[in-house]
Amino acid sequence: MDERKPPLGLILLALPLLAFLLAPVLITIPISFSADPYLSFPPSGWSLRWYRAAFTGGAVLDVFATSVALGLVVTALSLLIALPAAMALVRLRWGWVSAIESFLTAPLLLPAIVLGLAILIVFAPLGLLATFPGLVAAHLVVTLPYALRILSTALAGAPLAAEEAAATLGASPLRVFWRVTLPAIRPGLAAAAALCFLVSFDEVVISLFLTGPRLSTLPVWMFHHVENEADPLVAAVSVLLIALTLVIVLVVDRTAGLSRTFVK
Amino acid sequence: MTATDAPGHLAIRGLTKRYGGFTAVDGLDLDVARGELLAFLGPSGCGKTTSLRMVAGLVPASGGRIVVGGRDLTDVPTHRRDMGLVFQSYALFPHLSVARNVAFGLEMRGIGRAEREARVREAIALVRLTGKEEHRPAQLSGGQQQRVALARALVIRPQILLLDEPLSNLDAKLRDEMRIEIREIQQRLGITAIFVTHDQVEALTMCDKVAVMNGGRLEQLGPPLDLYERPATPFVASFVGRINQFRARAAGGIVGLGEARITGAGPAEGPVEVMIRPHRIALRPASAPVEDAEGRLNTVAGTVARTTFAGDVLHYEVAVGDAMIGVEEATRSDAGPVAPGTPVRLSWRPDDTLLFAAVARDGRMRP
Repeated sequence: MDERKPPLGLILLALPLLAFLLAPVLITIPISFSADPYLSFPPSGWSLRWYRAAFTGGAVLDVFATSVALGLVVTALSLLIALPAAMALVRLRWGWVSAIESFLTAPLLLPAIVLGLAILIVFAPLGLLATFPGLVAAHLVVTLPYALRILSTALAGAPLAAEEAAATLGASPLRVFWRVTLPAIRPGLAAAAALCFLVSFDEVVISLFLTGPRLSTLPVWMFHHVENEADPLVAAVSVLLIALTLVIVLVVDRTAGLSRTFVK
Repeated sequence: MTATDAPGHLAIRGLTKRYGGFTAVDGLDLDVARGELLAFLGPSGCGKTTSLRMVAGLVPASGGRIVVGGRDLTDVPTHRRDMGLVFQSYALFPHLSVARNVAFGLEMRGIGRAEREARVREAIALVRLTGKEEHRPAQLSGGQQQRVALARALVIRPQILLLDEPLSNLDAKLRDEMRIEIREIQQRLGITAIFVTHDQVEALTMCDKVAVMNGGRLEQLGPPLDLYERPATPFVASFVGRINQFRARAAGGIVGLGEARITGAGPAEGPVEVMIRPHRIALRPASAPVEDAEGRLNTVAGTVARTTFAGDVLHYEVAVGDAMIGVEEATRSDAGPVAPGTPVRLSWRPDDTLLFAAVARDGRMRP
């Protein structure tokens, strides 16, 4: 890693930009400690009541549990689907590989709102609206392209000669994969898992079409809550979410190296 | 295929690899006897590595058979071929220690812990890496990594040991050491081995036999001495060792070279390629007395065009008629270099003159 100090001009340019990007996020922190019954800045008094409300109010915990479960299932399925796909794309060197790859990453290029509407139209007759499987399927559309991209990059960098060496030493293709390929792409797997989870956990637009009173996700619940109540509870939940996201990113950075896995 | 069809421990019959319209290996036929070290020698792109990878099963053959110990392995997948392969890039498992790298093949074979540990220890001692068992590959030098790769390939006691340019990534001094070390280990274990290289010194010094390849074909297969002294083709003559090459015309077994007439082994009539090794030519000033009173040597007159002192040897370029002949002489303390412009006499034994029928660029014989 290059340890050179960036030039002063760059710092002067970056600091306001960073402040501009982070200011709206940071403002949720003081609001979350507000004693007021409504969203206002600056708060007229300080308290932890909204954190208490977040942990004791049944609704928040319910949608949080849904979002976590959804994120975990979507992440696991994304990796299970994207890993063999990436293997095929990287290793088989078919002539139409780039066409397949474009097809699989196309959902990223579509406006999420259009995607959400389309999924709504398809899912309605199938009875998948406001169901867990429906949400999983919809989120997979968005997470798979990320997983595929990251895993393809990781696999392209995996040492082919070491895999061949393992084969000459008597390892069947499956054992070569477990013993040599998988350890080599572990950073990529960690990055893909973290990104899939965060993308799913954070998804609002498509989920808006697929959630209902029976089943909702945390971001969708927050969206509706602000519309209806506008109390600082959402600020407290936001701060908790920022903390959770930071923890995930930190874990990836410590175990796999953030720049190594994302920037390639 | 029966054992009688396959006299060698390893028998390769008509082995061919085509990529679309391009033929990388074209009908390779050869045998390697048990315990023999055979080199695949040739320039890059000659098909030597592709041939080795077909033997290992890493590249499917387009045609031909590979038979080891009477068993046809052509359609057997790599992991059931029982061959040890040492890669140019070492190809160690970066996430495993030296000991675990070496143990890998034994684990795949389901060999019990006690025997595994004993054999790993033995293999690591064989390549003189005792004490490095718990190191990761990244902590080792290139030479040490290549020795781990060698131990990893040998510990499974493979039928055939395959070495794919194993010394190319090492510096010159280490390369010399490893050359001797690999040869010693190979002979001590009596293991049949193929060594792919583009370096003629490696092929000549290490191997029992050398298969010179060019353009996907086998040019010549033989012991190093045969290759050097009796090359079958101009390609072999020029690829193995350095050699003078020029075109001339033969008539009645006599070749005209400038004013002189020389003789050699090869076609008696027509256009010929004349090839002579620089160090087989003696260079004397024209004023020196003629030592070859019986006229048994080929002798031509010329003028020194360039003299280069290289410590052990002197390189001369001598103009003889239209041709420029390179001469190499060991330096001597009692005679200095012959200066450019000096008229000289070159002489060599007729046996050292290699004559080949001149071949046109498209590979056909000239009319």
